[in-house]
Order: sequence, then structure tokens, then C-alpha cells
Amino acid sequence: MNDDFIAKWELSRRRVLAGAAGLGLAGASGAAFGQGAGPWATPPKSKVDRLNFVVWTYGDIYARISKQFETDWGVKVDSTISSFNDHPTKLATMYAAGEKIDVSQSSPFSFPNFVNQGLAEPIDDLPGAADYIKDFTPFTKQVTSIKGKTWGLPYFSAVWVWNYNTELLEKAKIDKPFASYEEFIEHCVKAKKDGVARYPIMWVAGVGLEQLPGTWYQMTWNRGGAFFDKQGNHMLGAGSVARETLKWWANTFEKGLDIADPESLKVQFVGSAKAFGAGNNLYRGPNHHYTLNIANDPAQSPKAGKIKVLGSPGEGKTMGVTHVYFLCSANRDKEWAWKLLQYLGGKTKDGNYTQAVGLAKDAMLGSGYQSVMASDVIKTGWAPWGDVPEILRIWDKAAYIGEVCSSVYQPWHFPWTDQLNIEVQKCLTGQITADACCDNLIKGIADAKRKV
Amino acid sequence: MSAGQFAFAMNVPTLLFLGAVLAFPVVYAGYLSLHKVGLAQLRRGEFPFSGWENYERVLEDPLFWIAVKNTLIFTAITVTSEIVLAVAIALLINQAGVWTSRITRFLILLPYAIPPICNGLIWSFLYNFQFGFLNRILFSTGLVHEPVNWAGNPDTALYAVTVPYIWRTLPFAIILVHAALQGIPRELYEQAAIDGANAWHRFRQITLPMLQQIIAIILILRTAFAFAVFEEILAITQGGPGDSTWVSAWYSYKISFSPPNNFGMGSASAFILALMIAAIALVYMRLVYRRVTL
Repeated sequence: MNDDFIAKWELSRRRVLAGAAGLGLAGASGAAFGQGAGPWATPPKSKVDRLNFVVWTYGDIYARISKQFETDWGVKVDSTISSFNDHPTKLATMYAAGEKIDVSQSSPFSFPNFVNQGLAEPIDDLPGAADYIKDFTPFTKQVTSIKGKTWGLPYFSAVWVWNYNTELLEKAKIDKPFASYEEFIEHCVKAKKDGVARYPIMWVAGVGLEQLPGTWYQMTWNRGGAFFDKQGNHMLGAGSVARETLKWWANTFEKGLDIADPESLKVQFVGSAKAFGAGNNLYRGPNHHYTLNIANDPAQSPKAGKIKVLGSPGEGKTMGVTHVYFLCSANRDKEWAWKLLQYLGGKTKDGNYTQAVGLAKDAMLGSGYQSVMASDVIKTGWAPWGDVPEILRIWDKAAYIGEVCSSVYQPWHFPWTDQLNIEVQKCLTGQITADACCDNLIKGIADAKRKV
Repeated sequence: MSAGQFAFAMNVPTLLFLGAVLAFPVVYAGYLSLHKVGLAQLRRGEFPFSGWENYERVLEDPLFWIAVKNTLIFTAITVTSEIVLAVAIALLINQAGVWTSRITRFLILLPYAIPPICNGLIWSFLYNFQFGFLNRILFSTGLVHEPVNWAGNPDTALYAVTVPYIWRTLPFAIILVHAALQGIPRELYEQAAIDGANAWHRFRQITLPMLQQIIAIILILRTAFAFAVFEEILAITQGGPGDSTWVSAWYSYKISFSPPNNFGMGSASAFILALMIAAIALVYMRLVYRRVTL
């Protein structure tokens, strides 16, 4: 699979370069913005009364884009919006019940399942799709390419970063944030000993697909490890980087150093950002970069402005992810569904990446399009919440999560992640050792495959 | 039309309704449990027969047995607590001479009016490690010196989830016991008092025997409901930390509604749960209910 991926990536990179050159020749370097005449501006031949999408919640972005769609095309858009964790359930239930679904959304973890179960349709042959594909970032290509076809457009991208509280760092009389894991432990122990923070580190270790697993994946990757090799064999055996990382991580909890906030085991990205904003922890991470827009938002955080971003130790290797929108096979009209999909994950009638630009400006989210990531939207849009050049430097060192844990491409990844959440939480709470945890997870691979 | 035929005719609508909303889903779950059912199959309505394969997979899954064990512990704690508390509280609010008992009777109903998922969320906030109200009270009263991670500690999480559940469902049991208490003739207590029986003896010899039937009913109903606990788990712990609060209904939900959406296996686990509840209900009926109604 990884060979395939590398081949795809090389091919895609050449395509991207060729595409970029082509755009340059055409004098269209600002591909993200304002290309009025294109397939996105052409009305479909068929007629529909209404369309719908099934997504997870994010502010009012869906109300706004639905309104714009209705204004532009005169077609009403219904939305079914649930929480991130409930979304796969909601979508599955609606699909199984035979309801019409034009467009939906997926994390990279559920996506191979959705494709395998026939929920998604490939978009390669649809008008304008080739232009989008040329503009995809490497992350997006990896998420959307399954079985040699392209199955969606990007929603947003994120990379894993660390955060620190400058006020507590100063109080602890620490000159600069940690640059190695040894320093990290030193700082936390000192902050705890000096009474600066009862629990210096807030991990993002709540049950989830990217939260607890993501923290382990990221730290393992940063230390030079991975979870599966190129042939798909696990890398969790005795002495593996993943296993040693877990031992180190578990030692930060109660039965070891007792520097980890116990609330870590319950919090997701947003919850941990809010808790960190309360100012009780020195460090937080590694987690999605955009949660700085909560920790540094004066309306949501008493410590706004005092939370800074930090890269990972050593060479700074980290990982990133892209979530996607896809054309649902249960659509009522393919042409119109494609039109709606573009409003969510591509261009609006005016040729702008309206949604991607809005998400960057309003929510600090990264884009799955190279042109948006290279634009000033990112530099100016993210600036109120964090050090943009630093985040972009971290971004450059990020590999797609599928390289770290290639099982994300497999339908059994989801049930295996259920087990991973259970076993790792048991390890972090001292119920089992890291060795037992990894041994159980190795056995669990076969169990997860049987559940598919 | 004879009286029997008339009675049968009058029962037909109820039978049909109960058959549609109760029996059909159970039978359908049984049907699905014997087939390969994913999202695509559900959409198409074509289910390849898979025999006992789903049951075998469920019974081989260690997580299923952990969920069953947690369910049994949860049920034992909640049902026992509910019965003891319901009898105690019903006796208190049954004191006609105490005017506050009328207010208490009203207040006691409030938790029952709260949707289960809201109840779970409320308690989730109460249990919060750093900012929870419970820890704040305990801390300020000096009962603890360190905040307790109620829902996040594997040693306490399952017990922590039982409290909101009992809080929500207790009024139902109290109402039933209170109604039964109202039906006990006053003369029995008066005669016992004349014979010199003290409060404990009156409770032991009159109240408790007269409550046996209703307690048996509560036992059966609450056991069945506690076996299917879901909302509090969803809102407070989502099965965690680790597998310490995975219960049977949560297992069925996760297997069915998380990718890869194995509805066949989820149905098999739900059907096993239904069979377990039915078996326990039968035992109760034979050992408890019949004895107290004879």
C-alpha cells in the first residue's frame, strides 16, 4: 500500500507541478479566487426541488453556504447536522433507511468503510473535477484516493502541534519551552514541585478516532516509529517505538510521575482547549493546530493571548489529517449533488473556494487545496490566534496520518480503534502495562478483521 | 356474540399494536442476527443468510463478556439500591401528619421528568474532575483533599454511572411503593399497636409482607430496564475509561452503528441481551412473583 501511495504521490506531485505550471502560463496564479467562468458556474440540465447534506456541526458555516446555494441556484438545501462523534451513526441510519442523501462528510477513518459499503460515488469524471484534483494537497490526495479513483473533495486539514502557557512558563522560571522529551519531563516535574501547576500536562486522551489514538500516533511518529510497515505488518512488538512511547506516556499519569491532568482521559480537542484556557496546565498536546482559536479567544478563554504554539521535539516530525465531503450514492440527482458538493468542498458559482476560505478565516482550519494554503488568507486569517509562520513551519514537517498508521485505509481500522481506545486508557490508568496493551492490540487486529 | 368472543375482539387492537411495536422489532432483530447485514445490505434489503456466524463472533468476543459482566454489576447495584431507597422514601412521604411530605411527594417526581440523556449530561458536569460541583462540595467541606476523578477512574466509573441512573429512575419505584402503602388497611397498624408492636415490628410484620408483591414487580421491571441502560453511559463515560463502563446495550450500539456497521452482529448481541432479560424475568416470575401472589 505504501508503495502504491508513494507511486501515487510521485505521480500526483508531477501532476501538481504540471498543473501549477499550466496555471502560471495561463496567468492564473491565484487559482483559489474569482474564476467566474468554469464548470462550477454552469447550471445543471436537470431540475430538482431541493437538495440535502448530512454533516457534523461547525458553527454556522452550513446555514451560510446553504443560503448562498439557494441564492445562486434557486434550490433549497436541507441539512442534517449532528455532533462529530454521532455523524457516522446518523449517516448510516439515514442511508440504511433508504433516505435521499446528496452530499455527506467523513473523517479519513470512516471513509474507506463508506466507500467499501457503497455510500460514496467517485467524482473523477464529473465536470471540473480534474482541476480540483490538480489543486489537492498531498494529504487530500491520500484521503480521497481509494481503489484508483477519487471519492471526495476536502473539508479541512490540520496538523498536530503542542501548546504552552507563557504565564505558567514564566512563573516556573523556565526560559523556553521544551525541545526534547527529557526537557518536557523536567519542566513538568519542576512546575509541579514548585506549585505552579498541579497537573502540568493536559493530554488529549479522550476516546475518539484522532484524540487518544492521535496523541499516541503523533508521539510515536515524532520518535521515528510507526504502527504498520509498508507490507501492513504491525510495528507494536517488544522494543518497538510505539510500545516504548506508550510506556513513557503512561508514566506521566498517576502511578508514575503524576504530572498528567486526569481530565486528559475525557477531553476531546475542543474540550481540552477550553480546559487549557482555564490556565491550570503548563503544556497541552500534541493536538490539532486550530484549537488555538479557542484557547486564544478572549470570549472563551481567560488566558487568551498567553497560549503559544510549539513544534515537536527532535527533527520536529509531526502528522496531519484531512477530512472530506463526498457525493453520496443515495443522491437524488448526480449533477445537482455534484454542484452542492462543490459548494461545500470546492468552488462556488463565483469561482471562489468560499467554504475553504471561510473556514480558514473564521476557524483557523487548514485547507485541502494548495492554492488556498499558499494564499494570504491563511497568513492573515490565522494571525489573531497564533504564530502563523511557526504553524506553517510545523506543517511542512507533517506526514499524513495514513503513513503513521496505515490501517486507516482498512475497513477494520474502526473496530480496532475501539479496542485501541480501551486498551490504551487501561494502560494510562494503570490497569495494564504498556506491554500487555500492545500485545492485546496485536491480537486485536485479527479480531477487528473478523468484525468487518 | 358471546362474552368470550367479545373480550377477544376488544383485545385484538391492543394485540396488533403490541405485536407491531414490541414483538416485530424483536423478531426482526432475530432475523437480522442470522444474516450478513451491513449498510449496503440494509439499503438494498437483501440479506445473505449467515447462520449462527454472528452469534459465534459475539460469543467469542472478550469485550462482549466484559460488557455482560459490567451490566450485571450495574443491574445488581441499581435495582437493589432502588428497592431499598424506594421503600425508605415511600415510608417517609407516606407520613400524612408531616406537611412537608406533600412537597416532597411533588419534588420526588422531578427527576423522572428529565430526559435520560439530559440527566447524563447534568451528571457529567457534576462529576467533572476540575470544575465539577460534586468535587467542589466535597473539597469545601473537607471530605476530600484532592479532587476525585469519579467518571474517569476505572475503579469508580461504573459506580459513578449508577448514581445518575438511580436518581432518574427511583421516582418510578417510589410511586409504586407509595401507592401500595396507601392500600394497607390502617386497622392492621392500630391492632398491632394495641398488641404492643413497636415501629420496627409493624414494618417487619405488616408493611413488608404487604409490599412483597409490588417489590416483585419493581424487581422485574427495573431489572429489565437496567439491563438495557444506555443514555447515561453515552453521556457520561462512553464506555470508558478503557472498558470499565462498556455495558451490553453500548456494545450492541457500537457494533451496529460504528463503521463497519455490522448490524447482523449487533442484532445478535441485542438478541442475546433480550434472551438474558427474558431468562431473568422467568426466574423472578417463578421464584419471587408467584410465591408472593399465592
